[in-house]
Amino acid sequence: MNTIELALWSFPILLLMIFVRIPIGLSMMLCGLGGAYLIFGDITPIINQLKQVTHSTFSSYSLSVIPLFLLMGQFAALGGLSKALFKAAEVWIGHRKGGVAMAAVGACAGFGAICGSSLATAATMGQVALPELKRAGYAGGISTACLAAGGTLGILIPPSVVLVIYAILTEQNIAKLFLAAFIPGILAAVGYVIVIAIYARLRPQEMGTLPPAPMKERLQATWRVWPVVLIFLLVVGGIYGGIFTPTEGAAVGAFGTGIAAWLNGGLNRKTLSSALLGTAVASAMIFMIVLGAGVYNTFLALSQLPQEAATAVASWGVSPLLVLTAILVLYVILGCFMDSLSMILLTIPVFFPIVSALDFGLPPDELAIWFGILVLIVVEVGLITPPVGMNLFVINSLSRDTPITQTYRAVMPFVLSDLVRTALLVAFPSITLFVLRF
Amino acid sequence: MMTLINRMARWGALSGGFLLTLLTLLVVVSVIGRSFSGMGLGPVPGDYELVEMGVGVAIFFFMPWCYLQGGHATVDLLYSHMSAGMQRFIRLLSDVLMLAVWLLLTWRLWAGLVDKYTNHETTFILQMPLWWGFALCMVGAVLGCITYLAHILMQLGLAKPGEGLTVSGPIGH
Repeated sequence: MNTIELALWSFPILLLMIFVRIPIGLSMMLCGLGGAYLIFGDITPIINQLKQVTHSTFSSYSLSVIPLFLLMGQFAALGGLSKALFKAAEVWIGHRKGGVAMAAVGACAGFGAICGSSLATAATMGQVALPELKRAGYAGGISTACLAAGGTLGILIPPSVVLVIYAILTEQNIAKLFLAAFIPGILAAVGYVIVIAIYARLRPQEMGTLPPAPMKERLQATWRVWPVVLIFLLVVGGIYGGIFTPTEGAAVGAFGTGIAAWLNGGLNRKTLSSALLGTAVASAMIFMIVLGAGVYNTFLALSQLPQEAATAVASWGVSPLLVLTAILVLYVILGCFMDSLSMILLTIPVFFPIVSALDFGLPPDELAIWFGILVLIVVEVGLITPPVGMNLFVINSLSRDTPITQTYRAVMPFVLSDLVRTALLVAFPSITLFVLRF
Repeated sequence: MMTLINRMARWGALSGGFLLTLLTLLVVVSVIGRSFSGMGLGPVPGDYELVEMGVGVAIFFFMPWCYLQGGHATVDLLYSHMSAGMQRFIRLLSDVLMLAVWLLLTWRLWAGLVDKYTNHETTFILQMPLWWGFALCMVGAVLGCITYLAHILMQLGLAKPGEGLTVSGPIGH
């Protein structure tokens, strides 16, 4: 068996392990170690490499941005910022048809600007918005569906943990990726609002309205979101402006959301320790996958599979768009079962060289950024695709009297809006890239 | 016994989190210092090294708690349709594999530590011996191995689950 065949055989074995529920990071590490041993035929080089690899993966300046962004998100959830965001949106549009649901999506977008994770955004906004939606007379299904969809904005709108990982894997500039994600993120929010507007026309009985808020209350509520605006501008602006590194930006953000939580009285011994423990679980999960994926990808690189696959696909002469579409469809399917980070760490080392070798009429760095944003979007579609999308479960568990089937039914238009948006971004790369061309 | 293990893992994670918070403050001070460098202030010397070393240590300390909390990413699609016996077997298999991998990694981390100690390698700016970082990581790694071993014993019914833990508890999401 040559090394390419070995690498090809490792995929079904790895998938089998993952699908019987061996933790993903552990499965990748075991396959990587086994594969590398078969290639070398000797255990010494692996043993030597392992002296460094765990320590250098965990103790890496570029990856240190991840726990800090997670800490920032944990503090953001404590500070009453989620409530302020929701109120600020609700007072302006709550009296319109579907307005409270639109406000929930808008608040998710705002929260996404200070939190880099989808599940955290969905869970935090769900706690704030679900009771309000119920009070305004919204049916269970549309309430949970709009929040599950809104939650995906957490990762689309920078900062985004998945984009950080993509940037590190493909050696791209994090600041540029953040900036490129911004317009598609806003488009996503607009798409969801349009879905809600149409839904409100078709099924008006499932939505209620609130009495209009007086102008004074509107202005007051809007004023209260200033910490979010300040923190977002400081973090993303600072990183993009080159004032500080992504790690420093994340630390400044964690500090800012921490102060906001403290000022709002949300920070005490109990909430602080639960925020730290939450950061611990999420960080350890990510680093275990990063470690396993690192070992597995070293094995793939040794086997020469990524380069060979890229050459092979390029020589088929099929249309690059067809290859891209096939990859994106695969991501949507995988995304139904697997979390976004594992998917990206598992597949980018193979798919990125393939896509890079194709000609889309874009310079290499623009192609890398465009592909990254597309991947980011499609992996998030998986989070809200029935029957196994993870955001659906998170939100549904917060709304006990809503059967999951109602959530499934109501989320379909949002999934459709995601697919339409992906098609648009594939067809017109400049929607994503024009902000970088100034 | 598991109550003790659980408490140790929790304290490990909390100390890691506390360290991460200290690093956050360090970076903020450093950024402020740098932006006022015209006025005689400056960045904290060696801030990159400290962040790098500190985050590494924190991650090692996060690992055991994450495992006990069932925090590692898994795919639950088929698992939920398996028989109770099969589920039990998969849980035990995961535990054993986790312990085996971490015993290997901890052993190699120790070898790395010995290397750094004997070469007297130091960081670039602060001239801190690199083995310091390795040694602190080693504490987290050993705590992890003890935790995974205890989890196996608990699965086999050889240790009492203790407060906050159940035998059937999730190892996935």
